[in-house]
Amino acid sequence: MATVMKEGLGLPLEKTLAYKLSQRDTTYDETGCYWGTKELTLKDQDPIKYEQFFSRLQSAVFAAREKARYVAASPGGREMGESVWALATAEGDTLAMSLGFISHCAAFPVSIKHMIDNDFEDNPGINDGDVFGTDDPLTSGAPHPGDTYTLVPIAVEGEVIAWACSVNHIMEAGAPQAGSWPVFTVDTFMDGFVFPPMKTGENLRQAKWWETLWMRRTRAGAMNILDDKMRLAGCSMIHGSIHEIAEEYGVEYYKQACKEIIEESRRMILDNMRSTLIPGRYEGSCFRISMLKGQQTIWKHADKNEMLHVHTMFSQDEKGGIVFDTEGSSRWGYHGFNGYPGGSDVGLYLGITTTFAHSCKASAGVNMNVESIYHEGSIYNPDTEFAACANIWAQSMQMQCLSSSAIHRNFFMRGYLEEAFAPEDSWDGVQGSGVLEDGTPYGFTNFEWVGGGAMGAYPFKDGTPCTWAQHTQLCNVGNSEEFEYLIPPLHHLGRKLEPGYCGHGKYRGGVGQSSVHWMQETGQRLGITRGGSATSMTTFLSSGMNGGYPAPGVITVTALNTNIPDLIKADGDTPTTAGEVLAYAAKGKLTGDITSWKYDPPEQSMGDNDLWANAAGASGGWGDPLERENSSVVEDIRIGQLPEDFAKTMYGVVATKDEDGMVTMDEAATKQEQDALYASRKADSKPAVEWWKEQKAKVESHTIREELLEMYRSSTSFAGYDKHYRNFWQLDDDFEI
Amino acid sequence: MEVVDKGLLQQLVEGQISDIDVDEMRRMTKKDPERFWTYLDILQEKVTWDNKILMRLNDHLYIVMNGTERIVKCDCGHEYGDYRVNWKLHTDIRTRDTQDSMEQVYYPAAAAPDPEWMELREFYCPGCTAQLAVEIVPPGYPLIFESFPDLDRFYREMMDKPLADESPDWFKDKTADFLAAL
Ligand SMILES: [Zn+2]
Repeated sequence: MATVMKEGLGLPLEKTLAYKLSQRDTTYDETGCYWGTKELTLKDQDPIKYEQFFSRLQSAVFAAREKARYVAASPGGREMGESVWALATAEGDTLAMSLGFISHCAAFPVSIKHMIDNDFEDNPGINDGDVFGTDDPLTSGAPHPGDTYTLVPIAVEGEVIAWACSVNHIMEAGAPQAGSWPVFTVDTFMDGFVFPPMKTGENLRQAKWWETLWMRRTRAGAMNILDDKMRLAGCSMIHGSIHEIAEEYGVEYYKQACKEIIEESRRMILDNMRSTLIPGRYEGSCFRISMLKGQQTIWKHADKNEMLHVHTMFSQDEKGGIVFDTEGSSRWGYHGFNGYPGGSDVGLYLGITTTFAHSCKASAGVNMNVESIYHEGSIYNPDTEFAACANIWAQSMQMQCLSSSAIHRNFFMRGYLEEAFAPEDSWDGVQGSGVLEDGTPYGFTNFEWVGGGAMGAYPFKDGTPCTWAQHTQLCNVGNSEEFEYLIPPLHHLGRKLEPGYCGHGKYRGGVGQSSVHWMQETGQRLGITRGGSATSMTTFLSSGMNGGYPAPGVITVTALNTNIPDLIKADGDTPTTAGEVLAYAAKGKLTGDITSWKYDPPEQSMGDNDLWANAAGASGGWGDPLERENSSVVEDIRIGQLPEDFAKTMYGVVATKDEDGMVTMDEAATKQEQDALYASRKADSKPAVEWWKEQKAKVESHTIREELLEMYRSSTSFAGYDKHYRNFWQLDDDFEI
Repeated sequence: MEVVDKGLLQQLVEGQISDIDVDEMRRMTKKDPERFWTYLDILQEKVTWDNKILMRLNDHLYIVMNGTERIVKCDCGHEYGDYRVNWKLHTDIRTRDTQDSMEQVYYPAAAAPDPEWMELREFYCPGCTAQLAVEIVPPGYPLIFESFPDLDRFYREMMDKPLADESPDWFKDKTADFLAAL
């Protein structure tokens, strides 16, 4: 049979990327196996060789991360877990990943498919050692332009057999609002330096103009170039390793073994799901405020406040894989909180990858076991190509925790309590820009409260502070001095746990952490905003675990024109957490213009001795707080993690702490207080049916604030949620919501 | 560790287990499928009533057999009716919708949700007053149906022990029917 050649490429048709992509999909649709791989022939014939082969691939990506981040990098990439390197197949399916951001395996196939579908093979050509980059949510699967990708094709005799892939979170994205998660962004044109997949270099070397673009289009050009070099250095290492491995094992073995690896892990991940989940329907919801009214007068269509609704249904397909339907989530809007399906999957996969890709090869096998449904027109799938996505993480982190929450409820129901906890991942980033005294402009992001937060409570034990980050195994809040060095005017006046700040319960969530940033030598100007998950207007998720309270949202406190210099002169006693800033202000000790924000503050222009205090990373509780052991409450008071007055209102524990730190509980008063708390439950509650009738009347008479009615109108514009909402309140079809 | 024995699981259920044992359990390459049965044994021994537990839903709530019905029941004995109806509709509800009442359950005060936008709902068992669930949502938000397991499918496919009274009807959400009848 004559070889069919692909015109112009000088390659047999079956060696082209376009052919491989379509064959992968056709064979999967026909057989339900990756590339139709029903038998793991190489594994069965010589398992030792097969495992050695895989460990070579795995070592290549591990080594890439461990070396590249010391070649060059901003602190997020080097010190914290804000990066990942991966090896993917020719079609973009992940084979092996380093530590770090592993859910980005959802994005690589989107970028690579975009390049293939748009004939990049023909123009500009996809050749061995080319360098491609992207951060565009629509075309590349990037969640937002802060997450920047480098992709390097690996080709043998003209045939692309693999891609070396990398992503890291850069320090500044070049939007009108400085930082890496702009809040005020009307459309994609205000998201910053957005670039669809493009060839930026050849022979493992970036073009000179590429550096110039970073310098001209972002405010932290030097840092972003360091990160670019870091990503490419790692990809180059993978490129070299894969050429060696392919030569040693032979290209045919390489290609077949890769198919088997993904098929094998698809089966094992499915098995992990089936053996720990319970088929059913698990509903979840959460909310995120977008408070933009009055922040500008130019873009009238964006001048509004919106409560964003995230509504999800977690269920199983007939094989036992996960189906995650987001119907009822708000429509997209003129704000930065939207995303496209690829980037939404990067969010959703955070919990799913880390939970189920264990005891097996962590590969694209996970992708085939998850069906995500993002309805057209929603915040996860805008029916426009111009939606802004700069701050999708501000709600997608919550969205994905709704899937984790369903998973952890399943663990509890099935008896695998050791794996169950309240998964909430509140985070905060302080970002901005300024001009130093000498005229040097700069932009920045402080990642500390992105790098790690608290574990939620388990059904048998309290959560622990500062010990996890859903997006990486490398939970790390970074180094105070390094952030101070890179962000000239911000100094830590305090950086520690915020007492009492968690979701409470029989077992409480890990308490969150707080920083007080003190401005010094602010130069010609300094403007600060935040990018982060739910503000304290809402909680992180809507449902607590089994009677526990969900994690509180992020606290932001600003204090302008303060008397901090006087306090330092007097006795050096200054506030060290956001809570303390407010407490010192209430006592009259701290003076100035002090604001506690329930929503993202507009940019704050800051000068010397102003404070920006934030608290984030709190996690949720588990179970009824009145079932908490009194001794645990007393211990929390003793270690300074629970104020005495709050211990009384929350847990009914009456205790005092003396000057030596000894805590004494008054048994009789505690018993009395707890009885009173139970009595108030009886006195202040009503039967649900009665409650329902009253609420229905409220819904029918529209006695709900206008922004919330708008939210319900947005969600009920999707047919399935409309039915759900009308069914619950028993509303006629013609009732106008 | 390949199987978690009853004694150890009991410690886990009671919150009296050591961190070392928990770590051992987490390191199991494969979870022990028989765990579900051991779990039900332990739970059945804990409750004071005789209905057969089909599944644990919550710290206090179970789906149990009650004659030919599958109902939700609290460990205190209070019955919530058909498990296909969101059990929250059979609880007592307290709503916190003021700054003061929110500050009683969130600390520091700046962390309390905003009562101008959100309300906090606590769900209590009418029998024992245990707090079974908490929701923080805007007013007018439907109650969240947290967990509606497909028992037939789970018992048949995952546990290889089909329930005797299998029927496609068992996995139909009856919440709206219940509300329509009010
Ligand atoms: Zn009860």
